[in-house]
Amino acid sequence: MSYSFSVNGQEVDIESPGLRPLLSVLRDDLGLLGAKLGCGEGRCGACTVLVDDAPVAACLYPVANADGSDVRTVEGLARHDSELTAVQDALLTHGGVQCGACIPGVVMTLTALLDQDARPEDSEVRSALAGNICRCTGYQKIVDAAMAATETNGDPR
Amino acid sequence: MSTTVAKNGVHIATSMREAAAMLADLGEAGEAIAGGTWIMRAPDRDVPAHRQYVVLKHVPELFGVSVADSVDIGAMTTHTELGGIEAGPALSGIRQAARESAFPQVRNVATVGGNIRAIGFAEADLVPAMLAARARLELTSPTGTSEEDIGDYLATRHSRPAGELIGRVRVPAPKGRASAFERLTVRATGEYPIVNVAVSVDIDDSVVRDARIAVGSVEPVAKLCVSASQALIGHRLGDSAAVDAAGVEAAGELTSREGLDAPGWYRLAVLPALIRRAIARIDLSSA
Repeated sequence: MSYSFSVNGQEVDIESPGLRPLLSVLRDDLGLLGAKLGCGEGRCGACTVLVDDAPVAACLYPVANADGSDVRTVEGLARHDSELTAVQDALLTHGGVQCGACIPGVVMTLTALLDQDARPEDSEVRSALAGNICRCTGYQKIVDAAMAATETNGDPR
Repeated sequence: MSTTVAKNGVHIATSMREAAAMLADLGEAGEAIAGGTWIMRAPDRDVPAHRQYVVLKHVPELFGVSVADSVDIGAMTTHTELGGIEAGPALSGIRQAARESAFPQVRNVATVGGNIRAIGFAEADLVPAMLAARARLELTSPTGTSEEDIGDYLATRHSRPAGELIGRVRVPAPKGRASAFERLTVRATGEYPIVNVAVSVDIDDSVVRDARIAVGSVEPVAKLCVSASQALIGHRLGDSAAVDAAGVEAAGELTSREGLDAPGWYRLAVLPALIRRAIARIDLSSA
């Protein structure tokens, strides 16, 4: 069956079994390798992408449910010839990126959070990140980066 | 109508009528798919995903929430949306269950209808919250629409007629009613609960006139603990002896399942503390 949706602003038409995970379509059909397969059961957040602006676990998201939706992945944030987003830049500046496996998911979670609320509190950042497991940083540097990104995301704190 | 059957086939419905007809046509091979977070993990549970699925995401009748004397919730309402419903304290337990369940990425997708319908999901957080809140389900099939108490539905969930869909969930919200939810997990966030508890009480003149305590994750299906609920009635909310009695009664009413997360005896051992915490969490200020 064929499913139509947009990925990073471009319309795609995918011929696929409907229960195939969106993550598999993004990686294997479209070559978007940012979102990773981690746990495969919606616990680790490495596969986080945005569907209609909400973070979802792409490993558990049937492609049939993406039909008609707007999907955003980390590849859609900063093109080769453009600057990093505030979230990406802050993660680099604050040492929030170590092995990097979780970072595409973390970036998408924080992007959605800052899209909804330009000035989240520390506790809101931590709650938003509850579904993104990082085994390198201990999270503090990621939270620091998120709070710093709020400085350049709308009105300064 | 005739729905083409193919292995692992997925069919997209665009109305309740069409979805019910597709499911009736598919018979035992058919199953509705809402957010998909339970069905997509069927292989992890050694359940073969060989069924025919009817996608509900494009059925407009399944969306939306309205708040009046009762709160009317579309079955496709996600946990995130449910957690944000602005309603009185009768809904507090449901809101808390929705906000504390799983992870944000799952809460943004997993639906109330899917949570109630998921067979084999002992740990579902919304189910005890809905049981305690006296939720009723609007069920649609090709022959019409009916309404059923959620407890009755759960008791027959494994043998519902083909073509039946949960359309709406209705939660009464009378003045004087308040509720709360608690769960125990190995880690602070996410994870399935070892035990989850929802308590709903009707208060008049500072005394509990009616009460419902529902417990999930202990038995295979969440259960309303009648004797435990009775133990609260006639006492002030939070009365220490009544709360202790409710905990003892609840543990006595349940047959605990064994699991990798916790042995059966442990679920019953922590249950009284969870009930005590849930009752302490009830906010009567706006009841």
